[in-house]
Amino acid sequence: MNIIHARVVMAVVASMLLSACATSTPKYSEMAASMGAAKSDMGRIYFYRTVLLGFAVQPEVRLNGEVVGRAVPNGFFYVDRPAGNYEVATSTEVERKLTFTVDAGQVRYVRLNISMGLFAGHVYGELVDEAKGQSEIADVRYTGAIEKPDR
Amino acid sequence: MLIWKRSLGVLGAGAMLLASCAPTVVQESTQLTPETGKRLRLTRAAEVRLSTGYSTTLRAGTQWELVGTIPQGEVYRTRDQIVTLEGAHIHEGYIVVKQGALAGFYLPVERAFSPVTPVMPLSIEP
Repeated sequence: MNIIHARVVMAVVASMLLSACATSTPKYSEMAASMGAAKSDMGRIYFYRTVLLGFAVQPEVRLNGEVVGRAVPNGFFYVDRPAGNYEVATSTEVERKLTFTVDAGQVRYVRLNISMGLFAGHVYGELVDEAKGQSEIADVRYTGAIEKPDR
Repeated sequence: MLIWKRSLGVLGAGAMLLASCAPTVVQESTQLTPETGKRLRLTRAAEVRLSTGYSTTLRAGTQWELVGTIPQGEVYRTRDQIVTLEGAHIHEGYIVVKQGALAGFYLPVERAFSPVTPVMPLSIEP
């Protein structure tokens, strides 16, 4: 009885963990054509996370202090922003920041990596070039950005 | 119970120490005077060791465009690769060249100069 009970609990936990990953939304490659480009005076920033390692750790992603999404394993989202200076911050037991510029018409790719921490994994943004970003994002799934209603 | 609480306290302090021991990228505030019209090309790759313990590689064959000058040298930006400086945080950087050598990096968001010590000779051509 105890073994059956443990198996049920494990199945429920596994199901909860899997549902925390992006599994049922379209892949980037499936929706790229329909996304359209950013307006001419804006740049686009893609955020994506490829690895499932540390899938229980899914911190919010802040862009210049504003929450724009969550670091979901196997997921991506994007935001369009005016040209300027940007800071991406993610917090687990420590806060990691990435700073970079965005030009009008430019597309930036921020890969959300995970590294070992003492109590929890540390998620941090890494700026990658367009070729690498396009290649790595192709098979990850859309999780949706958190946007202010007026954008 | 007391031992358990103490252990938690020690672990918590350890976590905070671990988080705070990652060195930050050295930054000196500076003033960029915009300037354009010069380009250069790196003919050989350069691996630059940072004081944080991380390194960044400038790839061979990359083209760099002058974006301005600072007291520490001329500031060049490239669209051929991503250049970042990693420490406790990660910063996008442009190279600062003085007399054919890499003097350091300009951090455009922080408007700061991060020196490379010692300066590193670069193989460049116009």
